[in-house]
Amino acid sequence: MTPPSHGAAAVQKRIEKTGDQALPRQALTPADNQELLRQLYLARYFDVRLIKEKKRGRLRGTLYSSHNQEAIIVGSLFGLEPTDWISPIHRDMPAFFLKDARRGWRNPERNGMSIEEVCSQVWCKATSPGRARDNWSHIGSKTKRIIHSTSMLAGTIPVACGVAYADRLNGGNAVVLTYNGEGSTAQGVFHESINFASVHKLPVITIVENNQWAYGTPVELGSPSPDIADRAKGYNIPGLIADGQDVLDVYDKVMAAVARARAGLGPSIVECKTFRAYGHGDHDDDRAAKYRPEEEVERGRSRDPIAVFKRWLVEHNQMSADEAQRFSPEGLSASEVTDDDFPPEVVQYLKEGIEFAIQAPVPPAEEGSRWVFAEGPR
Amino acid sequence: MSIVLEHKTGTKRNFLTAIKEAIREEMALNPDMVCMGEDIGLLGGAFGVTEGLLAEFGRARVIDAPISEALIAGAATGMALNGKTVMMELQFIDFISCGFDQIVNTMATFSYRTAGEVNLPIVMRGPAGAYGGGALYHSQMNEAWFCNSPGLKVLCPSTPYDAKGLLRSALRDGNPVLIYEIKELYRKRDIEQELPDDYTVPIGKAVVRREGADLTLVSYGQNVYHCLEAAEVLAKEGSSVEVIDLRSLVPLDMDAIRASIAKTGRVVVVNEAPMTCGFAGEVVARISTDCFELLDAPPLRVTRLDTPVPWAKTLETYVLPNTEKVVAAARKVLEF
Repeated sequence: MTPPSHGAAAVQKRIEKTGDQALPRQALTPADNQELLRQLYLARYFDVRLIKEKKRGRLRGTLYSSHNQEAIIVGSLFGLEPTDWISPIHRDMPAFFLKDARRGWRNPERNGMSIEEVCSQVWCKATSPGRARDNWSHIGSKTKRIIHSTSMLAGTIPVACGVAYADRLNGGNAVVLTYNGEGSTAQGVFHESINFASVHKLPVITIVENNQWAYGTPVELGSPSPDIADRAKGYNIPGLIADGQDVLDVYDKVMAAVARARAGLGPSIVECKTFRAYGHGDHDDDRAAKYRPEEEVERGRSRDPIAVFKRWLVEHNQMSADEAQRFSPEGLSASEVTDDDFPPEVVQYLKEGIEFAIQAPVPPAEEGSRWVFAEGPR
Repeated sequence: MSIVLEHKTGTKRNFLTAIKEAIREEMALNPDMVCMGEDIGLLGGAFGVTEGLLAEFGRARVIDAPISEALIAGAATGMALNGKTVMMELQFIDFISCGFDQIVNTMATFSYRTAGEVNLPIVMRGPAGAYGGGALYHSQMNEAWFCNSPGLKVLCPSTPYDAKGLLRSALRDGNPVLIYEIKELYRKRDIEQELPDDYTVPIGKAVVRREGADLTLVSYGQNVYHCLEAAEVLAKEGSSVEVIDLRSLVPLDMDAIRASIAKTGRVVVVNEAPMTCGFAGEVVARISTDCFELLDAPPLRVTRLDTPVPWAKTLETYVLPNTEKVVAAARKVLEF
């Protein structure tokens, strides 16, 4: 029995391209655009490299690949202020080191995590921001304004509401971005939180990465509409739809929501249409090949965000066709690419993080019983 | 900001007023404190605990929340993460189940999973307990769920003095604290007390309500009063009974329990929650371990039957602990 389908046409129909005029992207310089591309490479390389490390048995737990969804992470973070808050979830690992990365990847002043901290977390080391107590994406930082997530999906949206409410009481003007899959929008707390955010006009932006599959369940079985953004109507807020493969479209839509939030007009939902490249987690890759039709996977992976953005750069004379050919991991799986397919500074940056993590100490066993309750400053 | 302690010396306060004063005084002392809950502002709370707060502290700090317990618990967590102290009222403690995931998985674990980077000063409190005809969904004592969730402190005061003193301590504790307020005690006249002007009661300390030498009764909440009545009955039979009011379930004051059993060698633990995996069972297990060499008789517990709380008085009385049931268990242990 084949599951009911909203159809590929429906998935694409609501992506509203409005052209280049008067869009937030107009404020981006050619150098900004080069940085956007570099960040796309970095996000992809981080994923590729970890998939390889995982396959060699060097990592614990489950890897949730962000392959093919990098434009959402990069495009949504790029225009934020250092004082803004974010709450990435399992498929958004690159967000931890890409937050505020525009101010310099190695800039110790930036309000994002260093690659050393993120790699320490992946390698279960005591130098991880959470001292390797919960796994993978379950890290955060109060000072760097990253909300620590759990495995309970949509569970950080109410926390984001509280953070935003308190920020307003504190006299701040921060926005809070939460990241969610389309599957998590069926949770009750998704509704409770956005309802509250709208009532109080909180600057909470709910990004929905609609990658069409919630583990083994297609969106048709989780949502009555192919467009999650439709839910915004019930909360009397904007529901924007972005092409999740197009970093500039994501940037434009998120910045529109950010501008609205910062003006005190309240929350938005920004749905980013995309497609999950692999299984739910690395344990699921083989089964995913069975439960997902091959032609759907091919179609879903046919618009690699790196290729889409390169094409735009070439068309807008910000990159030559030759330059565009130089590093080309697009369209390839992790097993098909090598370090030569990525800019050397990207490879080097991650190398530093991994080397730091490998030599870092593991948490001492007796820490297992600590910090159930407050112990004073760490 | 003026903080006026309006209560006149010598005036007795009931349980509810004591709680009300604690919230108001802490709101006045701590400009970073926020109250949130259903109907706490305009209405002043279903029981009137938060009456006057909205007028005194304004809408920004006294939030009438929608009927969304998961949102309330999650937003309390977010506010605390961003520098606030939050008093979160559950309209009835029964409704806490609607916010369960946010409380046990997000709030309670925050300190642990961030290795102490984040501590959350949150107090969750609400009316709890049976004996008033509240039936299934306005009578619960579900404290065992939360005692079994590391990262939460769990309290259950039985006097106006403790209700106020513990609440003030909880609001300054820096950890999530859940307080079971026995609603049958809210306006009970014969437990009213004169309260000092400025005091706190330490979390994690039990108190001896009656001294005795032959048997220890350990309880909390309104069952403490059943134990005190049972002690009177047993005194007439020639037994000297000590009554310990735990006040704090997590952390549990095993020192106080052990000191009492060192005198008496016999113990019965009483709570109104259902038997299986209830907190009384935990206390009995801890006594078996920590007081192994002190016991002259096996410890017993008196609890609700393993049922919900029914409505009709005959049914409710049948399933709940009462003085007679405590006396019967005490006699059994005394005669062993």
